[in-house]
Amino acid sequence: MRVKVRLFAILREYLPKELEMELEGGATVREVLNRLFGMAPALRSELTGEAGVLKEYVIILKNGRNIDFLEGPETVLEEGDAIGIFPPAGGG
Amino acid sequence: MLSPRELERYARQVMLFGEEGQERLKKATIFIAGAGGLGSPVSIYLAVAGVGTIILVDNDLVERTNLNRQILHFDRDIGRRKTDSAGEKLQAINPDIDVRVIDATIDADSIDRLVGKADGIVDAMDNFPTRYLLNEKACAADIPFFHGAIRGLYGQVTTILPGRTACLKCIFPNPPPKEVFPVVGMTPGLIGMVQATEVLKYIVGSGDLLANRLFLWDGMRACVDEIALENNPSCSVCGKNRNSIRVEK
Repeated sequence: MRVKVRLFAILREYLPKELEMELEGGATVREVLNRLFGMAPALRSELTGEAGVLKEYVIILKNGRNIDFLEGPETVLEEGDAIGIFPPAGGG
Repeated sequence: MLSPRELERYARQVMLFGEEGQERLKKATIFIAGAGGLGSPVSIYLAVAGVGTIILVDNDLVERTNLNRQILHFDRDIGRRKTDSAGEKLQAINPDIDVRVIDATIDADSIDRLVGKADGIVDAMDNFPTRYLLNEKACAADIPFFHGAIRGLYGQVTTILPGRTACLKCIFPNPPPKEVFPVVGMTPGLIGMVQATEVLKYIVGSGDLLANRLFLWDGMRACVDEIALENNPSCSVCGKNRNSIRVEK
């Protein structure tokens, strides 16, 4: 299946802003992340902290819904899903 | 009623949304949380547009490091209260509106008194804990909440309509770390303009708002993106299971 991955803000310094990924059926958000880390190892430290745990404030949306409210990184993807990843800005 | 002087002042925008729209602006009260990088452009443009009452809250003094972006404050204002500096400029820009500046900290104890019966709350804060508090107040009192935030050459905006859109907690369940954030003035300038445009459209009732849409500005690549948002049905602030709302209507 194919999913679309959109990266925002500082993440675009490592990879193009939009990617399409071919994944096995039943693949999860974690596999998308591992695929991204494979393409750009520096992304790992942008998105994960100690022990490889996702930084809490990093926003990952599956079709507009925050994966925190789904199954987190274990959220299962479907054909045509759009995944958005960005570290939110906090200044003002 | 608009005075002849007001009709002259606003002539070019009355062409857009009529005297009725201008009257709506005059009757509106907008609460702006913060007189800094975002609060400066937002308050200046809402003032010149003729928003009748602007409540601007900040608790800081003007520092030299603010001056690359906080355009309400001048070199001569270093050391003054931001509210004094801002109030003076805004009232001079438009003497036909009511500018109320309040030197206060927005916290759980003060927020009800500060926001009062405002028609809209503009997020011009530099930290998420206060943003969450404003979001809770907005949701509890059913007041539109105009979120904006910036970092470096990146920024984001969305318009939260309680009961109709995702709230700030649905979108950002966890706050980014507190930091001395890098920034150039153009970024809050641009993001503040998008927020102020949203406020204007909301008041006059025209156009499409950034409702359930996250506007993302990438100044490094000069591109704008949009992400569709959905509310979280189990959100602790706006969802069915809300239990942590401390602010009552």
